[in-house]
Amino acid sequence: MSAPLLELRGLRKSFDARSLLDIDRLSIEQGGAYVLTGANGCGKTTLMRIIAGLEPTQQGSIEFRGERSNPPSYPEHLRHEIVYVHQHPYLFHTSLRHNLEYGLKCRGLSAAERARRVEEAIEWAGLQGQVATPPARLSGGEKQRAALARARALAPELLLLDEPTSNLDRLGRAQTLALLAQLRDGRRTVIVACHDQEVINLVGYARLRLEDGRIALQSG
Amino acid sequence: MDLLEPTRRAFALLLAGDPRLLQAIWLSLWVSVAAIALVAAPSVAFGFLLAKKRFPGQRAAVVLVQALLSFPTVVIGLILYLLLSRRGPFGSFELLFTPTAIMIGYMAIAFPILVVFTISAVQGADPRVYETARALGAARLHASLTTLWEVRFGILAAVVNGFGRAVSEVGCAIMVGGNIEGLTRNIPTAIALETTKGEFAQGIALGLVLMVVALGVNVLLALLQGAGGLK
Repeated sequence: MSAPLLELRGLRKSFDARSLLDIDRLSIEQGGAYVLTGANGCGKTTLMRIIAGLEPTQQGSIEFRGERSNPPSYPEHLRHEIVYVHQHPYLFHTSLRHNLEYGLKCRGLSAAERARRVEEAIEWAGLQGQVATPPARLSGGEKQRAALARARALAPELLLLDEPTSNLDRLGRAQTLALLAQLRDGRRTVIVACHDQEVINLVGYARLRLEDGRIALQSG
Repeated sequence: MDLLEPTRRAFALLLAGDPRLLQAIWLSLWVSVAAIALVAAPSVAFGFLLAKKRFPGQRAAVVLVQALLSFPTVVIGLILYLLLSRRGPFGSFELLFTPTAIMIGYMAIAFPILVVFTISAVQGADPRVYETARALGAARLHASLTTLWEVRFGILAAVVNGFGRAVSEVGCAIMVGGNIEGLTRNIPTAIALETTKGEFAQGIALGLVLMVVALGVNVLLALLQGAGGLK
């Protein structure tokens, strides 16, 4: 068995004496696809934000491809390898193209490479007709697809998606589910936090279950 | 008092391009624009820090800047006068009664406006902006600049208000500028002087120009906001 892509050890997070996360050990395999389930407030979002370096943790270590970091430090270069997509994704008030290009510029890619990836992302998310539409005027489903495309275009090693189908209508949900199914390609590692039974049942996604901040189940 | 005659003469002065009028208008505009251009970037950066960072004394700093908003401009002029006068600590620079002195005064007056507007704009920004930028791989400074860009219309409003306050300011300009014709006489100080002399036509003409400038920058702001997709 190959070394895990991500390994969390002794991760603890609490707020006002209330324990939010208490994970002894969690391993995420390279190329794996995981659905992270659990009741509201069980720590799914907190866990993903800690992995993405958006929230500090008080204790424990995060090991990514063998490189260990201990709180409160978080290696900046991991932000180029781990991408988190918010439950209610925010699109910058510029243009769809600029949104898709933003992270690519952060990575210092050439203009030609950026243009290639942006075009590919637009096509992947089926947003060809929306390129000129200001992001604020996109529907909820279109915003979610744009956010997924923006994250996918960065080709991260680990993609963290927080409730990607929540607050979407039927069509938006169906389109997002189709994109989620495509994201599992055996190369990219994906963790999807959700309650949505259709996402939980997606073929090829292993299950992780959080209960009161602890890993209660890891299957697949 | 007959208002029609001075008003008719005011338009005549404007249409004839009266050199004294043009000189005061030109001085007002370039000194105000230069003051805002110099003070805007540091004020916005300071406002951003006050809005985003937590440090000891931060609350006190915010209260102090807010208090500066209601500081009488004539007192700012007095303080500057004391600092720039021959016996003052900066007297050797010989800046008193020069356009540069007025510019410094305008910068001091615009600073709290720019800072407070920036604090308000940044605190009103969606918290997901900075986080999204960081999640997409932006460094801290880049994410901060992205946040400022997202609230650019609030920042622009700060700049417009700062300019409006500077261009119409009279107390500080008289104190440190001295209202010297051809050198430091600008629109508001000229209005004050001409009115006390009973020269209402000049005052009305300059007042009209001031109103057109104030209206113009606000219309420009509204147009830019409209172009940016804001209602």
